[in-house]
Amino acid sequence: MLILRPKLSFEVHVEAEITPDLAEMDLKDVLNFEVYYGKLVKRLGDLFDVETVGEGKRVILEGDFSRVKWIGKGMKDGEIVVRGDVGQHCGAYMEGGKIIVEGNADDWLGTEMRGGEIVVKGNAGNRIGCNFWGEMEGVKGGKIIVEGDVGSYVGEKMVDGYIEVGNAGDFVGTEMKGGVIVVRGNCGYVGWDMKGGEIRVGGRFDLPPSFVEENGVWRGDVNVGGKGVIRKL
Amino acid sequence: MVSLEVRNGFVIDPMNGVFEVKDVFVKDGRIVESLDKPEMVVDAKGKVVVAGGIDVHAHVAGGKINMGRKMRPEEMRYPRFKSDNLRSGVGRVLLTSPAIGYEYARMGYTTVVEPAMPALYSIHTHEELDSIPIVDKMALPLFGNWHFVFKFVKNDEIEKLSNFIAWVLAKTKGFGVKVVNPCGVEAWMFHGNVYSLNDTDPLFGVSPKEVITGLISAIERLKLPHSLHIHCNLLGIPGNYEVTLETIKLTRRFENSERQVMHVTHVQFNSYAGESWKDMSSGAEFVAKEVNRNNVTVDMGQVILGHATTMTADSPFQYELFKIFKTKWSNLDVELETGSGIVPVYYSPKVRVHSLMWAIGLEIGLLVDVDKVVISTDYPNGGPFYSYPYIATLLMSEKFREEEMKRIANVERYSILPSLSEERTLEDVVKMTRVNPARILGLNDRGHLGENAKADLVIYDLPPEPNPRDYESILKALSNPSLVLKDGKIVVKEGRVVKHTWGETIWVKRDYDEELIGDELEDFFNYYTVQRDNYGVPHVRREVVLC
Repeated sequence: MLILRPKLSFEVHVEAEITPDLAEMDLKDVLNFEVYYGKLVKRLGDLFDVETVGEGKRVILEGDFSRVKWIGKGMKDGEIVVRGDVGQHCGAYMEGGKIIVEGNADDWLGTEMRGGEIVVKGNAGNRIGCNFWGEMEGVKGGKIIVEGDVGSYVGEKMVDGYIEVGNAGDFVGTEMKGGVIVVRGNCGYVGWDMKGGEIRVGGRFDLPPSFVEENGVWRGDVNVGGKGVIRKL
Repeated sequence: MVSLEVRNGFVIDPMNGVFEVKDVFVKDGRIVESLDKPEMVVDAKGKVVVAGGIDVHAHVAGGKINMGRKMRPEEMRYPRFKSDNLRSGVGRVLLTSPAIGYEYARMGYTTVVEPAMPALYSIHTHEELDSIPIVDKMALPLFGNWHFVFKFVKNDEIEKLSNFIAWVLAKTKGFGVKVVNPCGVEAWMFHGNVYSLNDTDPLFGVSPKEVITGLISAIERLKLPHSLHIHCNLLGIPGNYEVTLETIKLTRRFENSERQVMHVTHVQFNSYAGESWKDMSSGAEFVAKEVNRNNVTVDMGQVILGHATTMTADSPFQYELFKIFKTKWSNLDVELETGSGIVPVYYSPKVRVHSLMWAIGLEIGLLVDVDKVVISTDYPNGGPFYSYPYIATLLMSEKFREEEMKRIANVERYSILPSLSEERTLEDVVKMTRVNPARILGLNDRGHLGENAKADLVIYDLPPEPNPRDYESILKALSNPSLVLKDGKIVVKEGRVVKHTWGETIWVKRDYDEELIGDELEDFFNYYTVQRDNYGVPHVRREVVLC
């Protein structure tokens, strides 16, 4: 198990693809792991204090990681615990394992993930569980649970998987093809151009006019011949 | 470096009938007979030495590929070249301009033709061509749906048409005449298309047949180095091989002893039999026979299974494609000149139509006479141009084709490819990638290694007659040339780009009398968004003018 603490307060974004695989590497290799500080190529050891504690494929991030991007990118197994806030692109392309964020998460959480689980105890930013620009398919599996609130665009072009959030902004499940999105609180427009899947909302929400009510649920988006379902929790 | 000797290499130079171990001498960017004291000697013992490759058809610059890049940001996630001494370049199939130049050089290609330049967008096209390093470039303006052309053809004014073509080539620094779905794109502006060579365009009432023969007459009158470059009607629609045959037959009334009268491009997309996508089959056999009988050349338009982006001036066809794929797409009308459309595709080995397209391209490559066909993918429509070594290897090795067909669905039921045991030799591949393109484009300074040819030279780590059963090493050697020279400078070593240079832009100049078409130009420029004085390209980075 590894514990990482920032050595300095970062003035610009750090791009560090920290995965639980680091916990199984030699300490020397971990310290030499390549990261970017702004445009400068640095070593992990230059920016973070690294401490090895016991066994297990776990990485614990202590301190302010709100400017550190790409944590858990493409991870396949193991666990990352962030004791604080985390930066953008956390858990992008993730395939398995678990990320727990005890503070807030930023934008692009779990983008294009294929499997695994992300739990955020605080709030998260925009484009949670979406696709990167241009890609036709977003999240294909796995689970994202945000206990607080999130911004706009949740689960765009989602194919499969499960996303649960508190309140959300506009455009929940746009162009969704499958999977489930749960909004426990209120949100803006849901399900534009939805082809499949299900959106469940606990509070108030805006319904596009292109959905048809049927046995207490709404089906659509009829504009694209979709078979998506929107229902009240 | 000014002079160089390539020693002991096995030279394959079919244009000059050379197939033997021979030294090649380079001085000041040209091939010379002999040298007293070369400044550098390259040992090519056990390797083959050939001329630089020429691509006759790849959409590498201009409004379309740029629109494709804008529409598909997901293509840009793949880094290819980091800075160091090069410019950085990214892209999966749609590459950035520097990456295009480097990737061409990396597989031993030194010349490329951008085959569809709307004249209105020629400034943009040449700006982009100027950003493509290493390779030499040409651009073909689009004529097939231009109101000027329709008007001259309708009134049977071939002299005016020739004048107009010469005027456009000079204004846009163009190299030849490209036609895309003649009359069809214009009909599309009226929600239609043309379905045979005798259908007419709704505005001027001219037919594709009249446009094609009118343009050929004008081209032959101007004695342009390159013939008519045609993307036939009904491209990509099952049953279209008959229109292709009819189009090819139109060349019978023309004669030219020096080059072909018509170049039918990406002919794979125009060789479909059957009546619908469900019963589509291969018409390659018929097309190949007709090509072999007439003074016509083709390029393959091979499909590479995987990601691609279709982009063509054929806007009605792009709408048909959109209806099939239901993805993001774009469609554009280029004022009085042409149109265009872009649709992303994924050619899957599990989809019957896609695997059949893959097979039809190879049938064309194997059935058409070896001096009439050129390797191409119609980049980025059929796939990436950097797959040319893969196509060459498929043509050279029946075993490789058998291996590939194992993963590609249903080819044997709808195509004759499995029964074709023909294997192209390395010399044939040199013809299909060097000699034929140079002859088709009418360029005599490249495509061979004779005296005074450009010193665009490639060394492959291959025996002159490689064993087709060992296809893996053929593919590896063709993909990673040991050495590539461009204008006598070493640009690639062991498959790595080592030097950044700028190639030339070649265009064709013919005398014209602007007075003769003055009234028409005056009239039409009332309807353009661009004024006559601002029309065309003022300058390009390095130009070579063929007079």
